[in-house]
Amino acid sequence: MKEIFFPKRMWRSRGELKRRYDVVIVGGGSHGLATAYYLAKEHGAKSVCILEKSYIGSGASGRNTTIVRSNYRTPEGAAFYGESVRLYERLSKELDFNLMFSQRGHLTLAHSDRALVVMQERAEVNKLLGIKSSVVGPREIAALCPELDLSDRPTWPVLGALFHPPGGIIRHDAVVWAFARAADRRGVDIHPYTEVTGFQQSNGRVTVVETNRGRIECGQVVSATAGWSTLVGDLAGVRLPITTHILQAFVTEPLKPFLDVVIVSSQLHVYVSQTDRGEFLIGAEIEPYTTYKGTGTLSFLETSARHSLELFPQLERTKLLRTWTGLCDLSPDYSPILGKTEVDNFHVSTGWGTYGFKAAPIVGVTLAELVATGKTPELIAPFALERFHTDTLVSELAAAAVSH
Amino acid sequence: MRLPAQPGELIDRAEPLGFRLGEYRLEGFRGDTIGSALFANGRRVFSRSFKYHRPRGLLCCSGHCPNCMMTVDGVPNVRVCVEPLREGAVVTPQNVLGRLDMDFLSVVDKFGGPFTPVGFYYRTMIRPRFMWPVYEKFLRGVAGLGRLDEHAGHSRRYDVEHRRARVLVIGGGQAGRAAALAAATAGPGVVLVDESVRLADVELPGVEVLAPARALGIWEGKLVPVDSGTVLYRYRAERIIVATGTVEQPLVFPGNDLAGVMLPEAARRLIRDFSLRPGQRAIVLAADERAPEIAETLREAGVAVPRVVDLREGARQLEAHGRRGHVRRVVVDGEETKCDLVVVSGGRQPAYSLLSQAGGRVEYDESLKVFVPRDLPAGIEAVGSVTGEGIVRAEGAAAYEGSGKCFVCICEDVTTKDVKRSIEEGFDSIELSKRYTTVTMGPCQGKLCQLPSIHLYAHELHTYEATIGTTTARPPWAPVELGLLAGRHLEPTRRTSLHFRHEELGARMMWAGPWKRPYAYGEHPEDEVRTVHESLGVIDVSTLGKLLVEGPEAAQLLERLYPNRFADLKAGRIRYGVLTSDGGRIMDDGTVARLADDLYYVTTTSTGADAVTAWFEWWNAVWGYDAEIVNVTGALAALNLAGPRSRDALQRLTEDELSADEFRYLDAKHIEVAGVPCLALRIGFVGELGYELHFPSSAAEYLWDRLLADGARPFGLEPQRILRLEKGHVIVGQDTDSESNLLSAGMPWLPKMDKDDFVGKFALEHFAERDERELLVGFTMEDDVVPAEGAQIVVEGQPAGRVTSARRSEQVGAVIGLGWLPRDRADAGTRFEVRVDRRLVGARVHHGAFFDSAGERMRS
Repeated sequence: MKEIFFPKRMWRSRGELKRRYDVVIVGGGSHGLATAYYLAKEHGAKSVCILEKSYIGSGASGRNTTIVRSNYRTPEGAAFYGESVRLYERLSKELDFNLMFSQRGHLTLAHSDRALVVMQERAEVNKLLGIKSSVVGPREIAALCPELDLSDRPTWPVLGALFHPPGGIIRHDAVVWAFARAADRRGVDIHPYTEVTGFQQSNGRVTVVETNRGRIECGQVVSATAGWSTLVGDLAGVRLPITTHILQAFVTEPLKPFLDVVIVSSQLHVYVSQTDRGEFLIGAEIEPYTTYKGTGTLSFLETSARHSLELFPQLERTKLLRTWTGLCDLSPDYSPILGKTEVDNFHVSTGWGTYGFKAAPIVGVTLAELVATGKTPELIAPFALERFHTDTLVSELAAAAVSH
Repeated sequence: MRLPAQPGELIDRAEPLGFRLGEYRLEGFRGDTIGSALFANGRRVFSRSFKYHRPRGLLCCSGHCPNCMMTVDGVPNVRVCVEPLREGAVVTPQNVLGRLDMDFLSVVDKFGGPFTPVGFYYRTMIRPRFMWPVYEKFLRGVAGLGRLDEHAGHSRRYDVEHRRARVLVIGGGQAGRAAALAAATAGPGVVLVDESVRLADVELPGVEVLAPARALGIWEGKLVPVDSGTVLYRYRAERIIVATGTVEQPLVFPGNDLAGVMLPEAARRLIRDFSLRPGQRAIVLAADERAPEIAETLREAGVAVPRVVDLREGARQLEAHGRRGHVRRVVVDGEETKCDLVVVSGGRQPAYSLLSQAGGRVEYDESLKVFVPRDLPAGIEAVGSVTGEGIVRAEGAAAYEGSGKCFVCICEDVTTKDVKRSIEEGFDSIELSKRYTTVTMGPCQGKLCQLPSIHLYAHELHTYEATIGTTTARPPWAPVELGLLAGRHLEPTRRTSLHFRHEELGARMMWAGPWKRPYAYGEHPEDEVRTVHESLGVIDVSTLGKLLVEGPEAAQLLERLYPNRFADLKAGRIRYGVLTSDGGRIMDDGTVARLADDLYYVTTTSTGADAVTAWFEWWNAVWGYDAEIVNVTGALAALNLAGPRSRDALQRLTEDELSADEFRYLDAKHIEVAGVPCLALRIGFVGELGYELHFPSSAAEYLWDRLLADGARPFGLEPQRILRLEKGHVIVGQDTDSESNLLSAGMPWLPKMDKDDFVGKFALEHFAERDERELLVGFTMEDDVVPAEGAQIVVEGQPAGRVTSARRSEQVGAVIGLGWLPRDRADAGTRFEVRVDRRLVGARVHHGAFFDSAGERMRS
């Protein structure tokens, strides 16, 4: 509050690279910054830096559709994201920055009886893990979202929904900035516009991180580089089972807010929310092909506009204002890959597809613990890279694909 | 109010049009825009701003800025400066609490300043946490611009049209017209698109003129969607010439948002197009060479111009003051001028967005002090002032000093103070600051604020504009209605050729993937189950995917695609097959019938036909076998005639021999049924004696009618699900998920691991080396409750497995189901608990079919 009258710098301006850091975190997005913050806060780490090739939050952290939820299908996923939501709930206060976490409820619509079965399963898993989640019928949906077209006009009428009261939206940039500020204040050096160009290794460990601004000796390395994970992994000789795809989203011109809940439809491949600024924020499924090219497609706009109007025909004359793309790092089982790799001190946070932002605080907490103690926390053990060798995959397809 | 007729005015003074502004009845002329008609009626304030609720008037008159956004006939956020006036239009102000000239929310402007600096919402409303929803509710109450009728439905019909052009010229100014005419000399196929209604009547020989219409973007493959109101033209052009010209830039000085502060084009349009005098007494402020020209235009229209300031001469202090939001006086370096109009020219910025989207580079031109497009991709050209040609360098201050709010971005009410503060706080790159201050993120999308804000950043950071760079130009060039992008509401629905028969019989239709299928025909699906067990049922299974695989190497192809064997299948025989992915996961299943040495007939699941076809073709392209794959799903209908009476019933309709010896279980035969040539497959998905007949779709209704006349009773999808569950048959995609494999899903007998190779073999070998974590097994409930599909199997309070199918079966006399259980609890007879309606209900594992486990009935 004081800062509105006495502006204070959020973080120090970029300094010179030090010769050595105990922990070098590659990627200045929500995951990297959260990891740095918790390392400093929970484990007293004194020598941590963030290397970001562009500005902080320039990747997926600033391009996602800001939806936070924990109603996942697998017990592993639901427990993990459940903890993340609990952390998010406390975060504005902890970081003294209003993240505008708006837990106004999240509805995943079912347009077929098959979809209802999946919702049922997710609700059951969630309930057992103490996550608020239930299957609701059209009447309850109408009460939660009277603006939604529940008639039989749409090709696929709404039959029911998975209702997840703690789900909602958050201001994504604020999460990045609040973590950055908190990490900076605890002594973490943030180096924007610093790109990693290589890693020197000896005895199966990374010893030096090479950047466009010089070399850094390091104790441990964390790569939290989302869409660029495979490229950074390659530099360290770590092959990741990740493909990179683009995901697109758009916003409309601002309207007086009337849609309070988040509406998701897997059948229509679309998710709709209305921000506190009044813009409708609409996203779709990732493109099926792999690419790093962020130009986007017209067909995305056409399809997602059509599908949004199936749900909200009253938006017909609302104008689309801006569209953008982000990169998604997709793993084969739609679950993340977190923690150790075959290179001893090179840790990863990747495989986030379209659901990484939701996990930022819990990734920070668990990766910080792993880096500080050398032990993998139980919560992220199922998401180890090793599972692709032991074939113990965590199938989150039904709840992760287009289910923001 | 109007000037004498101007040459080329757009209004038709002979045709007055009445419209309403709130409770007032007003009049304008045909040819007016709603904005010009309001202006003619003396209205100067059109809207209230986004954050401070400051009164705003016409600024650009070109449809760029947010100042004239009003609600017209219930549609919010209409830029009335370019919206044609129509008889009876109802115009209402938006984002106003009270009236346009007295908005109660303007307290934010008067008193909120110190409390609401940039990003204030990040610093406040944090404690106590439980109050945030209350604060947020308030924030949402004042956020946004126009109000939408939340319960309106579709009101318009939109269409999409695909077109081709040899040369597509975007922009109909001088350069664009010249380029179009030049292109037309080389042949037909030249199209010119322009936003202005003025171009609608322009005749250019050999050029098709599309106006008013707007090119929204240039996408890959030279795809240009053109917005013409209710039709979206999707142009594919061989060559694109961009002649989008420039966008006039405002000046940044205190009071620069007052009503009466206008860009030169706005004044010019009011005079030339609508014969309106933009003000009585004007001051001209220009940072470029245009001051004399602007003053001349104003004077010709009878506007007194007591002062013309060429800002290149170095004025430092500049501020405008007003009363009730209207400009009243301007002070330049201490010298005050009374006025009601201020025409400002901050230079012209090339409208490069389309070129940048198309892949062109944008760089800062130090000599022109604007951003210009460079390095255009092949086939895309730029002509005229969009290239920077003819632009005179504007030299003003990044922001003028003075007292009062000084706006860099009028859409979002971002002041110079906000930008400076954001830099002080550490948001020192344009992208970061953009996200923090929201400059360029409003309705104009940077058209009027990007360049001024970059000048300001450069100035504040003591660096060069070239170092700051621009933010990314993202499509669309101008906001576009969602309805237009959506086009017509056509969502494809697949219906079988018996769809209307099902409806006539009163079937309850349901979605099954892209298909509509009968759920059941009567109230009680179990009646239909009984019919199949006791006499004769028929189900429409036309939705099954149907593929012909033919060629000398068809056998090798299938042998390698499927985990089990098909090369040794004898002609006239059928085998069940499951497709696995490279990762050994179950993808799809169905039957494969060998019709001849070189011809197989493959069925897939109802939703899997396209994916399986693509899968087969993909692998065949990799392996290069001499085999062809044809998807005949839509060409053929299919009926499954099932029940103990099916042989007799079918025999009555065919001359072919159907006896148990002649037509055995898992035989495939061509027979003629009631004159219709059919491929008959003797298979038993539902567990009773049955024949699946595949035949031309055109005969579907005829054959259906004959079978029903002969006593067959139709059964739907729900009874079929019960019947197959009684047999323990798996439905791929319901009982299995994307990680299930053959070993875990109860089919370890299926893959033939001694085969040389098949898709997924490598993975299956690995599965075989270790124990599966969980297994798909049948179960019987101890109580008469049906768990929901998806219900959790609970061990020590934790989810340990899940139910994938469950139904009450009369035949078995119990509730039966399929589900995934941990390996150590999957032995037959093991008891476990399922969570049903918040309580735990016991169940026991059952292996194999629940009914007729030897399969005697279907083999009979």
